Amino acid sequence: MFLRVVNRAEEAVICFFLFATTLVVFLDVVLRFGFNTGFMWSTELSLHLSAWLVLFGVSYGLKAGSHIGMDAFVKLFPRNVQRLLTGIGVILALVYCWLILYGSWVYITKMKAINLHMEDLPIPLYVAQSIMPIGFLFLSIRLLILLWALITNSAAGFKHADEAKESLELAKDITQGEGRA
Amino acid sequence: MTTVFLFVLLFGCMLIGMPIALALGLSSIGTILLFSTDSLASIALKLFEALSEHYTLLAIPFFILSSAFLSTGGVAKRIIRFAISLVGHISGGIAMASVVACMIFAAVSGSSPATVAAIGSIAIVGMVKAGYPESLAAGVIGNAGTLGILIPPSIVMLVYSAATEVSAARMFMAGFLPGLLMGGMLMVVIYIVAKVKKIPCQPFSGFKELISSGFSASGGLMLIVIVLGSIYGGIASPTEAAAVSAVYAFWVAVYGYRDMGPLKNQPWRREGEGAGAMLWRNTTQIVITLPRLITDREINKVFLDASKVSIMLLFIIANAMLFAHVLTTERIPHSIAELIVGWGLSAWMFLIVVNILLLIAGNFMEPSAILLIMAPILFPIAVQLGIDPIHLGIIMVVNMEIGMLTPPVGLNLFVISGVTGNTMGWAIKACFPWLCVLLTFLVLITYIPQISLFLPEFFDKMRGY
Repeated sequence: MFLRVVNRAEEAVICFFLFATTLVVFLDVVLRFGFNTGFMWSTELSLHLSAWLVLFGVSYGLKAGSHIGMDAFVKLFPRNVQRLLTGIGVILALVYCWLILYGSWVYITKMKAINLHMEDLPIPLYVAQSIMPIGFLFLSIRLLILLWALITNSAAGFKHADEAKESLELAKDITQGEGRA
Repeated sequence: MTTVFLFVLLFGCMLIGMPIALALGLSSIGTILLFSTDSLASIALKLFEALSEHYTLLAIPFFILSSAFLSTGGVAKRIIRFAISLVGHISGGIAMASVVACMIFAAVSGSSPATVAAIGSIAIVGMVKAGYPESLAAGVIGNAGTLGILIPPSIVMLVYSAATEVSAARMFMAGFLPGLLMGGMLMVVIYIVAKVKKIPCQPFSGFKELISSGFSASGGLMLIVIVLGSIYGGIASPTEAAAVSAVYAFWVAVYGYRDMGPLKNQPWRREGEGAGAMLWRNTTQIVITLPRLITDREINKVFLDASKVSIMLLFIIANAMLFAHVLTTERIPHSIAELIVGWGLSAWMFLIVVNILLLIAGNFMEPSAILLIMAPILFPIAVQLGIDPIHLGIIMVVNMEIGMLTPPVGLNLFVISGVTGNTMGWAIKACFPWLCVLLTFLVLITYIPQISLFLPEFFDKMRGY
């Protein structure tokens, strides 16, 4: 139950960021073309909302299997070799995560020390950029979960997005709709 | 040495199945740490800036959102009905109509596999009923579906402009004529085939049907008009046009067509309802159901699906920018360019090499991933050889189209075989004759730059540059 609430909340936050980004840019266009006015801060706000969307959502993408990658080569091998290769991949990905995590942590503590603010918004820079360590922390947690699944043999590889499969679902919807009508 | 390290690490990571974004990021960071003096903090900052300082990139989530709202069966049906009433009476009309439908749906959805799935699942059955062989029907749809990434607005083009900093608006202008040309070429071949095979054609359904189906399809058609009109007219940037199109697509899908959302299947006009009563009922319904938008399952799913794709693409782009940064600081493209110029390779020979390279890469990777890896390498070389960046972009996009029809990673082939229930081998055979049309088209695009460059230059002249 608790996990379900957390999952749903994560999805809601992601949807909210996309919704808010779209709305800010749309309102900016309406204000500018309709009323010849606008806000200085709307560009900066929309860009940061989208950065938060991406960095917050990266780890969700790993869980939902929406990142793209090549699995043709790995699939050539038996399951245990697949697990081993993917395990190496996960560890390399963890290295990447921790490097960025460390780098962004160093950067943000410096920003906090000199207390810089964003250009147009009255928000301290370190708050705006705090999503960097947060996002990569989440990503590394999801990677560790995947690593555990590999060790316990409940997964054999990364989940990758399959645009063809998603499109076929659309086709299925259409033909089923025909059947109903 | 640096170059070897970078590429071995990149392709190694990709081979073992790491997500492409992480593979790009790790190989770039590894190279920076080992071979240059940049600190980790500055790399982290660069990654954040890649996500938070490119206003053009915002167009990507917006277009994905608008296409998620309109890539539905309902929209596909309306577009097909309009296309049939438009060209259905010509010899080979139904096949031509499905090409037209693919072109329109491609512009609305910006995705090739989605176009094949949506139009294909309706039109292939229709064509078989009208007396076409199934393989011909599947081949036409599979090829016309690739137009999804060529006809603007196209997400692949936005990715190219992100990788090379070429203006996205100019790319959108450049893609328009080639898109029409390719659709036209397919239709001419269909006409000839239909005449030879003596496939019966339908009677003209009349102007009344044309206008009524045109009105019914206008929800999708207007999107193209709004986006391209405002970009071509220089009124709005692609980002602004995309935001408007996302809101518009939401409005059309939820309130205009009512394919989803709280008013699903509620007709605009009930039988025997007066105009005043209709207006009153619809207005109150719209106002009353506004709060239900937030909890509506289908709308939430559209947002979540669009977010997933946007996150995936933008995260790859951010990491690809790190990769491009490594390429530039290590001067890798420049040394390749000097090598090529040293060999005395001319522009047209270079373009052959580019085409072959991209066709091979297209067999194994997704279009956006190929563009993000190859464009930063090819772009400086092309510029040095005097090739227009816009022209190079269109060549790359057309190559990506062909990649969707070649095994083993031909997305359109998967969709065709899924929609028709036949094997992959059958889908490859069905698409192959039409693929030759596409290859001819590639040669035309490669060696007649004016096809791509005419429209952007025309608009430049109009604005007096």
